Amino acid sequence: MTTPVLEIRNLHARIEEREILKGVNLVIPQGEVHAIMGRNGSGKSTLSYVLAGKEDYEVTEGEILLNGVSILEMEPDERAAAGLFLAFQYPIEIPGVATMTFLKAAINAQRKARGEGELSTPDFMRAVKEAGAQLNVDSEMLKRPLNVGFSGGEKKRAEIMQMALLKPSLAVLDETDSGLDIDALQVVSKGVNALRDGKRSMLVITHYQRLLNHIVPDVVHVFSDGRIVESGDKDLALQLEAKGYADYDGQAA
Amino acid sequence: MRPAFPVRLGAAEETLIAQLKAAGADQVAERVTVAGLPTRRVEAYHYTDLKTLLRTVPPLAQPANEATGTAIRVPGAYALSIVNGVVQHAATAPEGVIVGKTHGGVLTHRDDTLVGISNGLTKEALSLDLRGTIDQVIQIDHRIEGEAGHVADATKIFVADDSSVVILETFSGSDAAHVGNHASYLALGKNAIVTHVTVDLGSRATAHFATNEYHLAEGAQLRTLVVHAGSGLARTHLFPRMEGAGAHADVTGLNLVSEGQHSDITMETTHAVPHTSSQPLFKSITRGRSKAVVQGKLIVARDAQKTDAKFMHQGLMLSDDAEILSKPELEIYADDVVCGHGSTCGKLDEDSLFYLLSRGIPKAEAETMLVRGFIAELIDPIEDEALNEALQGIVDGWLLGQ
Ligand SMILES: Nc1ncnc2c1ncn2[C@@H]1O[C@H](COP(=O)(O)OP(=O)(O)O)[C@@H](O)[C@H]1O
Ligand SMILES: [Mg+2]
Repeated sequence: MTTPVLEIRNLHARIEEREILKGVNLVIPQGEVHAIMGRNGSGKSTLSYVLAGKEDYEVTEGEILLNGVSILEMEPDERAAAGLFLAFQYPIEIPGVATMTFLKAAINAQRKARGEGELSTPDFMRAVKEAGAQLNVDSEMLKRPLNVGFSGGEKKRAEIMQMALLKPSLAVLDETDSGLDIDALQVVSKGVNALRDGKRSMLVITHYQRLLNHIVPDVVHVFSDGRIVESGDKDLALQLEAKGYADYDGQAA
Repeated sequence: MRPAFPVRLGAAEETLIAQLKAAGADQVAERVTVAGLPTRRVEAYHYTDLKTLLRTVPPLAQPANEATGTAIRVPGAYALSIVNGVVQHAATAPEGVIVGKTHGGVLTHRDDTLVGISNGLTKEALSLDLRGTIDQVIQIDHRIEGEAGHVADATKIFVADDSSVVILETFSGSDAAHVGNHASYLALGKNAIVTHVTVDLGSRATAHFATNEYHLAEGAQLRTLVVHAGSGLARTHLFPRMEGAGAHADVTGLNLVSEGQHSDITMETTHAVPHTSSQPLFKSITRGRSKAVVQGKLIVARDAQKTDAKFMHQGLMLSDDAEILSKPELEIYADDVVCGHGSTCGKLDEDSLFYLLSRGIPKAEAETMLVRGFIAELIDPIEDEALNEALQGIVDGWLLGQ
């Protein structure tokens, strides 16, 4: 058996004395796309931040293995270099940092961490152009400061474009569908699907089933009160859409 | 006004008084004798108490023969230098540039001790008459070389109507306890477009004082940028006067302050006639135990209607021990104006930092990107590419140093 890309064992995490993750168990084998669905406030974004290594959260118990290696002691930049990518629910606007400067810094930092040489400027431009074309990210957007003045849809497209450029082994997409109209949803989904290559794994977080019509998952997990309470195939998402999360309330307690 | 009790004079004041008297600047000598150096009880020096901060003043610097390299080299610039107060012979000037010398101080008299000392001690000033579109950056390199010395030097610049020019003044020198008192007087003719950048790169032991006085005629456009990135004690005065309708000034400045340093930018912009505008924008970045000060006063004359001016100071604290102080003042005698002020102070944004880290950018590099981003608003408008790069280099150098 090959090593799963992601393995989370009994993960507990808290923020400001409050326990949010209460024993998450999850295994994502190579090439699979898993969806996590759950109510607002159930801890989905917390899980994504804990995976990416945000400082504010304290892991009190459990283990996270990325390609078989524990990442709990790694800094966020080291996790990224190890192959983790988080598409943010709310991408951060950073005035004064040019998008192109940022993209180049990110790509080259990761290459350096992996012992690879810097990308030449023409190669970099070509890669950006290709990724941009696929996600309708035009050069006008790339000239602006990072995410500044981007609409909701533009921010999400820019996130997926970054993912296309950084080629992670595990992509965590946190509510990538929120704030998207149907056209934008299609562009984003197409971009994501183009990155499904049988090796790359994905964790798609959403609380609407809608996204999963476009990005069809191999496994669906229901998240409630800080843990996974049920798993199934893509039909589970349809059931959830019809019945809501009420059945799971209190179950986790 | 004579205070009821005589002020106790320190070593710095005694030296200054002797130097001023020897130069024949009796009025200023008298001022220092009676009042001493300004303390925090003088409103304009409230955050920069010179009596405490300036304990000694070295002897007047002698003309120096040795010439260390310039502090920043801007490729393609036309470079002039003033070493220990002496204007050096220059290479052939580009078209539209007439280089000369004038005698004595260059600043308009005002109620300020540092301005008085500048006028009292300046022997000769570099004068520039500028006409036409001058593509080459003009760099005036002020240096204080050799043993610790006190230097008063000056530049007097006239920019003709409809002319445009970029002027860089740099201040540096040997590693000694110098005191520099520098004056720049710039008169902008009608519709002149001028960028004036001054950069202090003096040694830690140096006290750097500078006064930049600007007069803007109708339609003149001025961009100033003051950068404090060297001397242990630095204070730059910016005194722009908007004297013709349509005149506009972007008055900007940057305090880069490390452990033990004190940097102060004090601005007083006067809108003397109707329909003028100014946009003062200052930033301070501090680390270690240090202090950054920005004072910004907007004066709008009685009939200067339609003045549009907003003062802003933003601070970025890279340590907990630093102090960033802001003092905005409005003195408005007209009633139909849009004037305001604001200031903010904070640390690097954690969420922004996490976002950059999550993309694989290491912490030190991410912090540098954010700091660069913080000051981009000041550096980006400097359009000359070589100068822009040189300024970016100074900021990067500061970030790498301690
Ligand atoms: N910085 C924080 N401090 C305290 N509680 C927080 C913080 N951030 C999130 N929470 C709480 O954690 C819970 C889970 O939030 P989140 O992970 O954002 O949920 P979801 O993404 O599923 O909507 C919520 O109850 C939220 O209020
Ligand atoms: Mg969320």
